[in-house]
Amino acid sequence: MKISSLYLAGAMFAALPMNAEESHLDPALPEYKAVSGVSGNLSSIGSDTLNNLMTLWAEGFKKAYPNVNVQIEGKGTSTAPPALIEGTAQIGPMSRPMKAEEIDAFEKKFGYKPTEVNVAIDALAVFGHKDNPLEGITMKQVDAIFSSTRKKGGDEITEWGQLGLDAWKGRAISLFGRNSASGTYGFFQEHALSKGDFKTSVKEQPGSSAVVQGVGADIYALGYSGIGYKTSGVRALPLAGDDGKFHEPTYDNALSGDYPLARFLLVYVNKKPGQPLDKLTLEFLTFVLSKEGQMIVEKDGYYPMPAELAAEVVESLKK
Amino acid sequence: MNTPRTEKALDPKRFEVSWATLWFDRFMGIAIRFGGIGVIVAVFGIFFFIGKEVVPLFKSAKVEAAGQVSKVVLPRILGVDEWGEMPFFYDGGTNVTFVDVEKGTRTELEIPGLEGVEITSLSHDAVHQRISVGTSDGRVGSFLVGYAREFNDDGTPPKVVPSVTAEPWFTLEKGAGPVTEVSYGDSGAGRVIAVKRGVGENSTVAILRLAMKRGLVGAGKLSLVDEIDVTKDLGAEATILRASENGAMVLIACSNGEVDYFLADSGGVSKRQTFKPFDGVAPRQINYLFGGVSVIMTGSDGQQEQWSLFRQDGASERLFGEVQIFPALGEGRVHFAASQRNRSFLTGSGRNLSIRHSTSGATRWEGTLDIDPVSVALDAKGMHFFAAAADGSTLRYKVDDHHPDAGWHAFFGKVWYEGGSQPVFHWQSTGGSDDFEPKLSLMPLIFGSLKGTLYALLFSIPVALLAAVFSAAFLPLEVKRIVKPVMEIMSSLPSVVLGFLAGLWLAPILENRVPSVMLIVICVPLCALLVGYGWCRLPIAIRNRFEGGREWLVVIPFIALAGFAAWHLGPVIERMLFIYKDPATGKEIADFRLWWPQFSGTSFEQRNSMVLGFIMGFAVIPVIFTISEDALSNVPKSLTAAASALGANRWQVVWTVMLPVASSGIFSALMIGFGRAVGETMIMVMATGNTPVMEWNIFNGLRSLSANIAVELPEAPVGSTHYRTLFLGAVVLFGMTFVMNTIAEVLRQRLRERNKIV
Repeated sequence: MKISSLYLAGAMFAALPMNAEESHLDPALPEYKAVSGVSGNLSSIGSDTLNNLMTLWAEGFKKAYPNVNVQIEGKGTSTAPPALIEGTAQIGPMSRPMKAEEIDAFEKKFGYKPTEVNVAIDALAVFGHKDNPLEGITMKQVDAIFSSTRKKGGDEITEWGQLGLDAWKGRAISLFGRNSASGTYGFFQEHALSKGDFKTSVKEQPGSSAVVQGVGADIYALGYSGIGYKTSGVRALPLAGDDGKFHEPTYDNALSGDYPLARFLLVYVNKKPGQPLDKLTLEFLTFVLSKEGQMIVEKDGYYPMPAELAAEVVESLKK
Repeated sequence: MNTPRTEKALDPKRFEVSWATLWFDRFMGIAIRFGGIGVIVAVFGIFFFIGKEVVPLFKSAKVEAAGQVSKVVLPRILGVDEWGEMPFFYDGGTNVTFVDVEKGTRTELEIPGLEGVEITSLSHDAVHQRISVGTSDGRVGSFLVGYAREFNDDGTPPKVVPSVTAEPWFTLEKGAGPVTEVSYGDSGAGRVIAVKRGVGENSTVAILRLAMKRGLVGAGKLSLVDEIDVTKDLGAEATILRASENGAMVLIACSNGEVDYFLADSGGVSKRQTFKPFDGVAPRQINYLFGGVSVIMTGSDGQQEQWSLFRQDGASERLFGEVQIFPALGEGRVHFAASQRNRSFLTGSGRNLSIRHSTSGATRWEGTLDIDPVSVALDAKGMHFFAAAADGSTLRYKVDDHHPDAGWHAFFGKVWYEGGSQPVFHWQSTGGSDDFEPKLSLMPLIFGSLKGTLYALLFSIPVALLAAVFSAAFLPLEVKRIVKPVMEIMSSLPSVVLGFLAGLWLAPILENRVPSVMLIVICVPLCALLVGYGWCRLPIAIRNRFEGGREWLVVIPFIALAGFAAWHLGPVIERMLFIYKDPATGKEIADFRLWWPQFSGTSFEQRNSMVLGFIMGFAVIPVIFTISEDALSNVPKSLTAAASALGANRWQVVWTVMLPVASSGIFSALMIGFGRAVGETMIMVMATGNTPVMEWNIFNGLRSLSANIAVELPEAPVGSTHYRTLFLGAVVLFGMTFVMNTIAEVLRQRLRERNKIV
């Protein structure tokens, strides 16, 4: 009995170091220190990619401030700007930068632009089924698979044989993607399709987990979502950018720019220029960019921010 | 025997109604009237609200004069900040002049590094606010004009602060003489500069490629990759050089009327195409639209055409082709300024200006200015434009054009979108970048709604109607008492649960079992008929063991057996009939999913209309069943009894009496079923993949109007074109059901007249 439980504990530990080994947490990140006088309601509306992260952050934040009530809604990046403009949320998590039109609408209402805060690093992944034998896929192929305009110039790819998988020759590639409210959709469109159009046959899913679930249930499928949504049912395919070499979606490849679909995950807030952010939101973002907050980022499968950048952001929010 | 009646005094008021009843009656009368009027008001309120949201889509642009700036300098280049408050003027000297329109104050900013340099050519990229310059000694460079808003603590309006930053210079190695044309394209990572040196026959043209290496963190580093002389690729002397704002290509117009398209990518610079836009007459102007995929060419007589990059006739390379012809401009100097928010552009000749939109091809506004402009500029938000005359006097105009992308043609017509090979109906409302061209055709959505409805009704009408007839005419009362409520409970299943089941449970199962499903569709009804036929042939002694209306007990085991057998025979049939032959290797695979695309040329998707039709049936069947069952049951007993008495058998009673009498009710049931299917949302959202395709193919998905509203409304900023278009979708959906219901009501009345018996 004892032995088996010890064995179990050992197995659990054996699973943990894998994460610890790959930890990219910057040791220079400051520890979060709770301050007094923080309470109230904090509401966040926006990205689905960031939804789990926001929930975990909110949990951690509430441990420090039990009087704070945090509400999170994550239907898609494009829901963040309307929420910030209408004032229904103080925090707008987004997985792509705001478009000029969205900034225009914000500026029209408040007279100044919203403030952008980088909170984590993501390597947007192209997922195949876990039994997908493909070594990797080039960005030109990704464009030829997902795009109807094929701006990167490849020939149309509809079946697996065209990707060199003879065993699956003739099998149509079943495509999963996000709905247009998603920032992941927008980012993928801009960077993977060179701003081209999606094929109409891409099945638009309302959330990242639905994409991953769809790919996991369909062996001939390809789909894209944030790396944080990776499950055991899918495999993130290595991608090749301009250099023609396959790069796994890892922290180092994301930071160096070798992995072609690396991006920052962002949070937008309504900060009046020349005045510090309101205390509750400021403390929340300070927490997010602290050691504790960035540990949560790792736990959720994304990559943490370098300490230098984090410190810069926190400083700018206090001004 | 008879007990004597006791005489009781009758109350004289016994026929009068009590005051409580009267009061209650009056109260209810008012309440009902109030409720009824309330409903009507609410419905009209909804119409009013939806109408209010939709109507602005169809308004054209408004332009009004809004301030002026007195004489400044010769505006060789006129630019403006995004708020339209502080235009800048540049004449090729060492200073840029900024003027505040409201206050009239001027600011001169010196451009670093221009001391003692003779500038021989200039160009302006309004997207990046970059002015590129070429010098007499063969150097090219550029500077960026920047604006920032400074906010004050005292609450006064923010002030616009201009700035000028110089970018690196490059010394040209190819060619000789002064730089006579320069154009700078910048995508952030890749950049190109196109330069012409000298004039006449000895002029040369070169394209410089620059690279900006940038990781996620830190500033980038700009370096020159190479300088390529392209003079020999040109048919004649170059007259216009245009590098696209995304740094991907250069267009060069030559004096012989040819336009050459050079592609610049990581591989190098190469000429891809030569074309003649105006039958060999050199174009007067070439200007990129926002996004750098389309150009507007203006010919010598003011003809204006849009040319775009697309794949022609299945070619693998994207080349320029003519997409659209705009109304010709008049005589005089040609003006052009492209919007930085959408595909509209300000153009004109002489004093006449117009705002045109390339997606819809519409002219949004037309007007005549008070001055004769030499230069026009549109602010980045598209809220103002400026026109400067040769003497430097400049007028500001306020532009009110909230929905340039909208219009009848954009919603219901085939539109030739940028990058497409032909005009199409397409829905893709938002993209991730600013220069995305929204595709707002409602046709694929209307089609999707109808397609989903068709497949749902195809499955549910036969099932529901036959069930209703059976239940009303044959089923014994005790059984009916159970069956009917059960069917009604079915309709209370939340559609989100049905959709969830369809998308995540049923779709993967049916994907591998299409032949089985087809076999079931054939075998089960056939089996029922056969068993029925066989039953009739049985001796009466056996038949009499089952009381009338209980024959279903005999049929059910057979049907179950047939269904079971068909399900398991499906793969066998698949191996026999649905064989996919690999065109390359000749290898044969028995798989319906492969066979269907090869056989029909259309796709096979896991989440398809077959799954949808089946699951939607669960939502629609109870509705049709209940109402038509009621209609059939309400056929007066006197009629059916009379028919039976006259010797009609059960089936004859149904066919000649019940169905005609109940036909109007059944018709209503079908219409209500149609209404339920057309407006169904959650099942459509979850089971169809939401692909806006326009094919009747049962094995791919669809995107319905209702699902589209559910999916996209949360992301649409209130008041935006997208938001209003979704409301327009609602109007269309309402219009569809309204028209259908009206037709149905008319038909129903006719049916009722014709079959009026009682």
